[in-house]
Amino acid sequence: MSLQPALAPSEALAGFAALLRDHGLTVGVAEQQAMLQAALRLGGLREAPVRAAWRAIACHSAREWRLWPDLFDRYWHPERLRGTVRVSGQMRPARDLRQSVQQMHEQMQEQTGSAQQPPSTAKSGPHTAADAPPSGAGDSDPGSPRAMGGASRHAPQVEALHRRDGQMWLPQELGELQRLARQITARLRPLPTRRWQARQPGQRLDLRRTLRRSVAWGGEPLAPAWQVRREEPPRLFILADVSRSMEAHAALFLRVARAFAQAAQARVFVFHTRLAEVTPLMQRDSAAVQEKINAVTAGFGAGTRIAASLQDFARVHARAQLRRGAYVWVMSDGFDTDEPAQLADALQALRGHGARITWFHPTRTLPAAAALQGARGHIHRCVPLASLADLAAARHLLH
Amino acid sequence: MSTESTTGSTPTASALLESLQRTGYLADEDLATTVWLAGELQRPLLLEGDAGVGKTALAQALAQVQGAVLVRLQCFEGLDLAQAAYEWNYGRQLMAIRLHDGQPGSVKASDVFSRDFLLERPLLKAISQDGPCVLLIDEIDRADEAFEAFLLEVLAEYQITVPEIGTLRARHIPRVILTSNGTRELSDALRRRCLYHHLDYPTLAREIAIVKSALPEADTRLVEDAVQFVQRLRHEDLSKTPGIAETLDWVRALYRMNHHTLPEDMAVLLTTLGCLLKTREDRFALGTDRARQLVEGRRTVGVAEKVPAHAVAS
Repeated sequence: MSLQPALAPSEALAGFAALLRDHGLTVGVAEQQAMLQAALRLGGLREAPVRAAWRAIACHSAREWRLWPDLFDRYWHPERLRGTVRVSGQMRPARDLRQSVQQMHEQMQEQTGSAQQPPSTAKSGPHTAADAPPSGAGDSDPGSPRAMGGASRHAPQVEALHRRDGQMWLPQELGELQRLARQITARLRPLPTRRWQARQPGQRLDLRRTLRRSVAWGGEPLAPAWQVRREEPPRLFILADVSRSMEAHAALFLRVARAFAQAAQARVFVFHTRLAEVTPLMQRDSAAVQEKINAVTAGFGAGTRIAASLQDFARVHARAQLRRGAYVWVMSDGFDTDEPAQLADALQALRGHGARITWFHPTRTLPAAAALQGARGHIHRCVPLASLADLAAARHLLH
Repeated sequence: MSTESTTGSTPTASALLESLQRTGYLADEDLATTVWLAGELQRPLLLEGDAGVGKTALAQALAQVQGAVLVRLQCFEGLDLAQAAYEWNYGRQLMAIRLHDGQPGSVKASDVFSRDFLLERPLLKAISQDGPCVLLIDEIDRADEAFEAFLLEVLAEYQITVPEIGTLRARHIPRVILTSNGTRELSDALRRRCLYHHLDYPTLAREIAIVKSALPEADTRLVEDAVQFVQRLRHEDLSKTPGIAETLDWVRALYRMNHHTLPEDMAVLLTTLGCLLKTREDRFALGTDRARQLVEGRRTVGVAEKVPAHAVAS
């Protein structure tokens, strides 16, 4: 009789650690050792204390703290899992059979097509500054079906699928994007504070410190201490819409967001019906970022709740950091399933904190969405962003 | 792992929970387990949460429980080594040199750069304690990143290096508690060295228990109504959400005004709201009508009152 050996505790723990890492938690060998140690010291297999202890070890921020209950249950109690949440998700949570079959056919066609074609530059990235099609006529016209967001879904979706494998960015384009991000970051105004900080050489003599130092030389101020005005780096928050209506543009938005997360330490959020922070995923240099973001947003339902997401952002996620001089960049087409007036209220609340709001829309002109039109007065600047070239063109406006 | 989640913590963690309770700090089991584990693993504990949820109070209660000295380092912008760790006592050094001036064997460098001439600031003070010690590094997010980097050595090795003397190691590992209000992102290196706990506002039952233990003489009805009101108030869109300290202040104020329940007269209630609402905007946002809705929320109002309120607004 051969019994299948049970998973060793350390192996089970390693699997759990892998799941945590997939969700952006920093769980290395040291953390795993601490977790084992904690379980040993707690001296039993009672769940509540182990769960609390592991949470304290594995979580390092409020975001991770909020994720924990779900992740813990997902691994140790898959039976408690609600049907809507999936471990690793595709971009589209719900898709009917007909659409799935169509997608499969398209994939097969593309595979055979790409087998025949040489893989070199047959389909160069559509987001290059040079041949950016969205900046032409056609789909970027506000009257076109795409601009109607979720209302007309079929045409853009086929296009999105087509675009997906055209999203290979050439290294020079990535370099260009990073360079742009650095340039724009340098133009963002740092926050002046009233404080002075010690620096050699400085603008002002730090009398107190100079006198204090002079004591070491019997009162002779041999080493004067200087001060400069302290400036805080600008705080940048990027909120990218990843709803269905934005499917075709989400990849570009996330690329841009990632460049700024690295260049300006921006905090990045994605939303459609809910808001989730993806900053840790953005700061890591991994090829599978898109996949991970898909996994994060897999539980989201249909529709786009921009106003609710913005409120959640201001009241929960960025509560303590939204201050005068903060930059909030919203990347969305403005089609909101909430009441149109709510968006204006949410933006007004954001402005009440002193934030400067810039709205990036994927169309040439401001989308005709009622919510966005109504809230126009609260937006500091609207910038079209459908390609890298657009970002380059807008770099003088972003300051 | 057993799927049965039991209610009790481990014996030692539950003992800690009880002794914290005796000092008046009502922690939940998760927090007690974390604090206990931090002691077991000798790791610092990073507490994050909004202002007024009891982060600093935990350190004070822990020091009281363990009969330990509480050493507090309040962080601020521009905090440097001289204010946080140590500084040479130049005055005494000069005096020592002058005193030995005329004598044959003149003073050597090692004479004036010894432990006697070192001014202990909180970090060094915590490390050089002989008995148990709780080191509270309060509002670490206010300090600069450079200071955070300096802390890494102290928190990982419990030692401070003074170039003139050498490395000073802790004789008795202190319990370190760091608190942060989340106004700045802390570095990953610091976070990874600490156990982490996010303190949220307490639940209704816990907050009632906290207020009752702090103000046993107040009427139960008053405490329950007031805490319910504060809990509802926290769901409002306020720029400064009231913490536990504010609730205590408010109940204390109402008690001193000889109220046994929440005052029926909204004007009276509003005059005391200064204990809870600390900005002009918040105070302005909470008018008589809104306050009444919050007070009466428990009696399933809303529908009847919201309709006319809505009609007036539109």
